[in-house]
Amino acid sequence: MNLDDALQTFIIEARELLEHMEEALLRIEQTPDDPDTLNAIFRAAHTIKGSAGIFGIDHIVSFTHVAESVLDKVRGAELRINSELVALFLSVCDHLGVLIGHVAEGRTPNPDVHQASSELADKLQAYLGPLSHCEAMAGPPVEHAGKAEPVAAEAVSGGVDSDNWHISLRFDRDVLKNGMDPLAFIRYLTTFGSVVHLVTLVDGVPALSEIDPEACYLGFEISYRSDANKAAIEGAFEFVRDDATIHILPPHSRISDYLRLIADLPKEELPLGEILVRCGTLTRAELDYARRQQAAAAEQPSPPIGEVLVENRLVRANVVAAALDKQKQVKEHKAAEGSLIRVNAEKLDEHINLIGELIIASAGTDLIARCANIPDLSEAAARLSRLVEEVRDSALTLRMVQIGATFNKFQRVVHDMSTELQKDIRLEISGAETELDKTVVERIGDPLTHLVRNSLDHGIEAAEVRVACGKPAQGTIRLNAYHDSGSIVIEVADDGGGLDKQRILNKAIERGLVTAEQSLSDDEIQNLIFEPGFSTAEQVSNLSGRGVGMDVVRRNITALRGSVDIESVAGIGTTMRIRLPLTLAIIDGFLVGVASSSFVVPLDTVVECIELSASEILAAQGRDQLDLRGELLPFIRLKELFDIAEPLPMANDPDDEECAADVRLPYGAPKTGVTLTAEGIAALSADPELAFILNPVMRENVVVVQYAGHRVGLVVESLMGEFQTVIRPLGEVFTGIEGISGFTILGSGHVALILDVPGLVRRVVVRDQQRYVAKVPGAAERGGRMPSMIE
Amino acid sequence: MTKERNALRISLLGELTIFTAAAIREQLLAGIAGAEEIEVDLSQVTEIDTAGVQLMVAAKREAGLQRKVLSLTGHTPEVLDTLDLCELSAYFGDPVLIHSRG
Amino acid sequence: MAKNIMIVDDSASLRQVVSITLKGAGYDVIEACDGRDALGKLDGRKLHLIISDVNMPNMDGISFVKAAKGLPAYKFTPIIMLTTEAGENRKLEGQSAGAKAWVVKPFQPAQMLTAVSKLVLP
Repeated sequence: MNLDDALQTFIIEARELLEHMEEALLRIEQTPDDPDTLNAIFRAAHTIKGSAGIFGIDHIVSFTHVAESVLDKVRGAELRINSELVALFLSVCDHLGVLIGHVAEGRTPNPDVHQASSELADKLQAYLGPLSHCEAMAGPPVEHAGKAEPVAAEAVSGGVDSDNWHISLRFDRDVLKNGMDPLAFIRYLTTFGSVVHLVTLVDGVPALSEIDPEACYLGFEISYRSDANKAAIEGAFEFVRDDATIHILPPHSRISDYLRLIADLPKEELPLGEILVRCGTLTRAELDYARRQQAAAAEQPSPPIGEVLVENRLVRANVVAAALDKQKQVKEHKAAEGSLIRVNAEKLDEHINLIGELIIASAGTDLIARCANIPDLSEAAARLSRLVEEVRDSALTLRMVQIGATFNKFQRVVHDMSTELQKDIRLEISGAETELDKTVVERIGDPLTHLVRNSLDHGIEAAEVRVACGKPAQGTIRLNAYHDSGSIVIEVADDGGGLDKQRILNKAIERGLVTAEQSLSDDEIQNLIFEPGFSTAEQVSNLSGRGVGMDVVRRNITALRGSVDIESVAGIGTTMRIRLPLTLAIIDGFLVGVASSSFVVPLDTVVECIELSASEILAAQGRDQLDLRGELLPFIRLKELFDIAEPLPMANDPDDEECAADVRLPYGAPKTGVTLTAEGIAALSADPELAFILNPVMRENVVVVQYAGHRVGLVVESLMGEFQTVIRPLGEVFTGIEGISGFTILGSGHVALILDVPGLVRRVVVRDQQRYVAKVPGAAERGGRMPSMIE
Repeated sequence: MTKERNALRISLLGELTIFTAAAIREQLLAGIAGAEEIEVDLSQVTEIDTAGVQLMVAAKREAGLQRKVLSLTGHTPEVLDTLDLCELSAYFGDPVLIHSRG
Repeated sequence: MAKNIMIVDDSASLRQVVSITLKGAGYDVIEACDGRDALGKLDGRKLHLIISDVNMPNMDGISFVKAAKGLPAYKFTPIIMLTTEAGENRKLEGQSAGAKAWVVKPFQPAQMLTAVSKLVLP
């Protein structure tokens, strides 16, 4: 077998791999989360690159390198696979086929092919962002660089006589166990130089009865002659760099350098100076001089060593500065590395899941403790809850990543699109260091891309128009992120013409989304662009007009329990503001009860809780609005919405044990039907709050929630207070249920459904809108806002 | 081989490396315990590495502590080569002198 | 006596080139196409070095290295991981699994030879 045979193998193998890659690409859109499919694509690129490299086919290496890097991002979940990316990789695949064809025919590719390579590589590069991959085309590092640096050759006064390098090696105990053999490194040194003298330090070797035969006790002092430079000599030890102490002194090093070497290796049983003489590195006279220096230095109150050396004109100041600088850099780098550890994302998820379980278990303990009515136990349980809460918070911060990487990707998008659109647009990024949950970051990419494209395409006007309006010809898109009370806000802003409300309205009427008679506020008009099937582009551009509308953007964001709103000023620009929760896994919830069912309302949506008096209950019968301090509040009765049956008379069941985990009462309030003493009754009447706590189901309560500026009341029976909620997704079967976004398990082991507040609010708004349109046709009077719009 | 009583020859077979160091250590310990003069025959050694060299140093030291004599014989070219690289031939051959290759 | 080196990679052409190179330098070479195949060939035979890719079907390089390091006959065998520039964390993973040396892909045959001679005594 020779290299030509191997090349044939490469061609056959590469073609097979490309076939696999193509198959996998055609499959992956259906199964975007299948790691095997993705891995097959990655491996194809990876293997072709590796094999092409060993044959020195550099143009294939550099081309596949970019492709591999993009795929690596997909694997690392920094990028999501979409149809666009699949299409791109299909052409990458085809192009590689062409390149391999050239190899098979023994031809070198012509300029057209190179042009095609670089065009495709540019498209791939767009996914990598401008910062990360400037090394893309860099070749492998060169192992041996020619001659020694001139600095080393320059004999400076104070340098020792020897023409040889001096290498001092001490190894960690485990080096042999790691498969590294110091003698192999020394042998390797002899391939580009010669060992003049070598002293094996055997003093560290214990007697046979004491020795760990697999540990390393030997050290070496080597006088070495070579024309290679220091990097090449250091390269010999690259695999033991972390497992050894290595000093390499160039020829004619200053005696002071040896002094330092001696000082750095203080625990030698044999005086190192003697060893150096034995090595032939130092002469006896040089050693004596060094010793005198050492002694003199010891008497002084030790000024910085660098200073001493400069004063003694042993080294030049700039050399010291450079050395110190380097030392500092190395230290800083080490420190940064030392303070970070890499953790597998899966392990982290598992950890978070466990904490979820812990929260549930802790809630259970708390419940039992309260029921048991043992003060010490309650206190312990409370302390436990508090700690669990802290653990939860700190665990969630582990998942936090900065949004900067996501933002940076848009540099290229903006660059490419503005070229295509023939607009001059720049991207400004701020708040890149803002952190949010990894899952959120992964899933916000697509909506964000759409918003940015939308701004580029429809927001920023053509340069002539801008100049005519007195604006700078260059348009600006701004990406910004910041934290705002438990949420993260991401803004996509442009300094374009703002939304054309009249055109939006016309379009919406044309599409039958609203009637011409409806009177809408500016906000309402702007929000119409999020309605399904809405598109304002008069000519569908090939960039953003691909049938995916802003409705999908809103749906994606809503799926993350977020919201999006628009602020637009004609002639000044538009800001799209995405508001997202910091994390998806755990929320603070507010637990409410209806009959025997429990529901969790995300606490951040709760505005207030109102107790309905008997008269108010009566007044609200048969209606779905109530008067809240003079304003109409639309409401929903959860009981009706979810068709909940009247509770079984379990509350009065005498067999019902004290601690039978009544899910509606996690805080241990006595159940209804408890017989009160006379004092108890008196206390109740004196303290309405207490009465409320003790008698939750006797009244109807309204939880006022707010979302996207709309307030809606949720009518429930009991209020059970705040509750840490671990969100669990609904199974397939339940995904269709409106108004529910997930479930959670209470401390008692019972299930509570998590209300989808955005969904419920929207439902109410739509309901009232329809009714309003139906009831008041042609309502266009002044201030004719929808009655549901209470702000 | 010496003609002294209580002498022992230990022949090492195969590799004298980290893979065999633990077993050879046991073999040598037993040998040193049971004899006054120990000859370690290296003629069957196929490979030697740092662990092997180090083990010989430890054996030499152990013998010295017990006031016994340990010598290496039958160096194969591989062994000789490695001991030369380490400049340890003198250490084993002549325990007093500092060897200089000039 | 010639030293034995195992090369584990799913690319047949890469194995061939490495094999040709190493044989040319006087080593004996055993080839394996993935971690599973390689593990099957760790049958007690003497190996002076294992060179293994990371990303391979059936059994990846990291799992293979862990398994190999668990076998008494190979627990001290030096292992070279074939890493990529992008795979810094895989490299660290490989190192903690027991592969202390590495060569970055793509590499030239001479670079492989250099790495091998740092680890295997002639």
